[in-house]
Amino acid sequence: MGHAQNREYSQRDYHAIERDGEDLISTHCCFCGMQCGMNIRVKTETKEVIGVEPRYDFPMNGGRLCPKGVAAYRQAEHGERLLSPLIRKNGELVKASWDEAMELIVSKIQEVQAQYGKDAVGVYSGSSMTNEKCYLMGKFARIGLGTKNIDYNGRYCMSSASFGFNQSVGIDRGSTNPWSDIKSADVLLLAGSNTAECHPLSMPYIWGARDNGAKLIVIDPRQTKTALVADIHLDIRPGTDVALANGLLHVMIEEDLVDYDFINKHTTGFEKLKELVKKYTPEYVSEITGVSAEKIVSAARIFGQSKNGMAMFARGVEQHATGTDAVSTYVNLCLVTGKIGRKGSGFATFTGQGNGQGGREHGQKTDQLPGFRKITDPKAREYIAGVWGVDESEIPGPGLSAFEMLQALGSEIKLLILACSNPIVSSPSVAHVGDYLKSLDFFVAIDMFLSESCELADVVLPSTVWVEDDGTTTNVEGRVLRLRGIDRTPGESRRDWEIICDLAERLGRGKYFKYDKPEDIFNELRVASKGGIADYYGITYEKLDNMQGVFWPCPTEESEGMPRLFEDLKFNFPDGKARILAFEHKGPNEKISEEYPIFLSTGRVVYHYLSGNQTRRIESLLNFCPDPYVEMHPNLAKKYNIGNGEMVKLSSARGSIEVVAKITKIIREDMVFVPYHWGKTLAINHLTNPALEPNSKIPEFKVCAVKIEKKAEIVGVKHG
Amino acid sequence: MSRMFVDELSPGETVATSPTPCMHCVTPACAESCPVQAISVTSDGIVLSASLEKCIGCKNCTYACPFGIPRVDDVKKMMYKCDMCYDRTSKGTPPMCASVCPTDTIMFLEEDDLKNHSPKEVQYQWDFGGTTIETRTVIGLPDTKRNSFGFYDGEGVQS
Repeated sequence: MGHAQNREYSQRDYHAIERDGEDLISTHCCFCGMQCGMNIRVKTETKEVIGVEPRYDFPMNGGRLCPKGVAAYRQAEHGERLLSPLIRKNGELVKASWDEAMELIVSKIQEVQAQYGKDAVGVYSGSSMTNEKCYLMGKFARIGLGTKNIDYNGRYCMSSASFGFNQSVGIDRGSTNPWSDIKSADVLLLAGSNTAECHPLSMPYIWGARDNGAKLIVIDPRQTKTALVADIHLDIRPGTDVALANGLLHVMIEEDLVDYDFINKHTTGFEKLKELVKKYTPEYVSEITGVSAEKIVSAARIFGQSKNGMAMFARGVEQHATGTDAVSTYVNLCLVTGKIGRKGSGFATFTGQGNGQGGREHGQKTDQLPGFRKITDPKAREYIAGVWGVDESEIPGPGLSAFEMLQALGSEIKLLILACSNPIVSSPSVAHVGDYLKSLDFFVAIDMFLSESCELADVVLPSTVWVEDDGTTTNVEGRVLRLRGIDRTPGESRRDWEIICDLAERLGRGKYFKYDKPEDIFNELRVASKGGIADYYGITYEKLDNMQGVFWPCPTEESEGMPRLFEDLKFNFPDGKARILAFEHKGPNEKISEEYPIFLSTGRVVYHYLSGNQTRRIESLLNFCPDPYVEMHPNLAKKYNIGNGEMVKLSSARGSIEVVAKITKIIREDMVFVPYHWGKTLAINHLTNPALEPNSKIPEFKVCAVKIEKKAEIVGVKHG
Repeated sequence: MSRMFVDELSPGETVATSPTPCMHCVTPACAESCPVQAISVTSDGIVLSASLEKCIGCKNCTYACPFGIPRVDDVKKMMYKCDMCYDRTSKGTPPMCASVCPTDTIMFLEEDDLKNHSPKEVQYQWDFGGTTIETRTVIGLPDTKRNSFGFYDGEGVQS
């Protein structure tokens, strides 16, 4: 079916149902990194979005959708959409004209930059945007505004995986393999990923592997829906992944389950790792992680003895102050056993945000230029300056990372432009983030709904939803996809790229931002990425349509992309060898104490996406899971005399939150879990630790120390 | 409006759930109990929702169905149940639930396809009062050695 690269996927041979007077727009879901294909049902005459229809021929999901995907179309006609610009007058956000809003923004930008310098304007954008918009944001910040301070919310999501992959194999594509390869694995090791709830459309691939007899090892502190079906569930204490992976390596080396031929020919650093993991005996690791020694030994044997296998992980591994160490240590599992470069062997990280992959490739990271080029590399700067038609000296250097930027609001940064992100819910220790945002001289937000962050802005600009947008995104596999939009802009809303180009024009920089359509931006992006690590040069809209997406790198127009990396076993370093890196277990940044004796971890539920700005507005999703809750083990609850459904106050050194208790045995006794999709008083990020991983600058969302107090007895509350 | 119900298997204990779809019975109790014959069965065996014109909202069908499938919306004055998306299945396209099911828990297959569907080995054997049932499906079950069933109160006692 279709192009050869798509033959082993889970697509199905059915036809979408078409009806008179209605059009089907084939596009992709706006939520997680799976980027499932779907048809949006639109009334031909009015262009009103009325439903969703499966897109059976799209290889990744073959028409299947999760609850979020099924309901996503409801955003388009949602009554709460922003339909005109808003300006704060006497403390209230009131309707304004585009001219008035844009002139105000431009005058404030000029005022702030004249007084404090160019870098006093910050740009904070998102990864749920198209590649075109991500590229444009990077260019606009550097060339339109001349500021070094641009970063994006992907910093909270996948930056540890990005740094870890770069240091281990020299390239950061979220997955070394196409997703169809999962079905060919003999063992799947899923660490810190509740795949069934966070990336449900990966499950047909995991089931496919199970049908072929593959074993499943799940590493997670909770018995999630993913862990429930595992052969071995390693119920790890939060923040101890490095120790656990070192323990698995210890057993594999002891029992001679490693591939010395591969290690000698294609890697460096094994001896150092061998030395380091000597002390990580199953018993020692069991003490640190809380997982029984027997389970560690069994898991290591299953992984080591399997011919093909994949190590896959997600935020549970990455959102830690030692996140990059953990990523590289899990990558080590594949390197020492030679599980890479062939069908069913490799490693991957589950992309959280829709375009988490593309978002970090095109230069909206503060330390990067398009094509994954380092902003400090003189050659890269010169090349991109040539593409942009500016002098190399006009491109600023690296600025502040996402959370550092928020901390600098009001001091180093006086004006912030926020696009497609909601940092007052998604950042750690959010009470402080609110104070930072309020201390700005001027705050501009671009969004389709009035998010919790937008509520604090001086000007809010209404943008379109994803079904009204053309462009491309890059999914969890590294497959670049085509989004098609309906040609409409409800009310006075405008597309983000048009807003940015208009701003540039009004700032007198319009000559660098002359585009008629997203494809023009993409064609410039192709050239900008040419010769970089993430090389999109050979990818065209036409090719994307014909092949149902193209995997990068695709360096020439003849190339059809590279679904599987490292088939030649050449890694992206000058000597072509992968780096086996050895890291000691350091543990979480914050330790439990007498005052705060319990670990807190956060995560997702299947019904909501990120800060919930989109999914909490969709009635059916909200009804499934209306409020956050705290999961705790019966033994822990007994200690505090807490009953199921009773109100509990959770506090950390940074703040507190009141939520209902959900008492269940799926969680460890020494921790609690709260989902993070709610804002204001229900934001669990009031409690989380802003400690940053030193390399990737990702905050340590996944573990902090808290205390529990019983607040009130409310019995019979039902939880999501 | 959801026409598929998802049950929690042991709430508070495990995250395992199970969908309850309409069985499209050969002798459908809902249709047989309908006093005005509003629920009809198509020639290919699909039990349809009650005809809006005929339905009197008596809820006989909801009481009669052993699986609790038909529901009556008192506000909209209509009965609704799964009719296997007749607009889709009559054209050979799966019903919406099977089309979008993210985990392939619900599938739309011909009987022959079903027999060939799962070539893998037997995963579980169940003993139902002397009758052995084999399944090739990998089933997620709570850890019964460690866990028992039910909600827990502060004393760790089931309620």
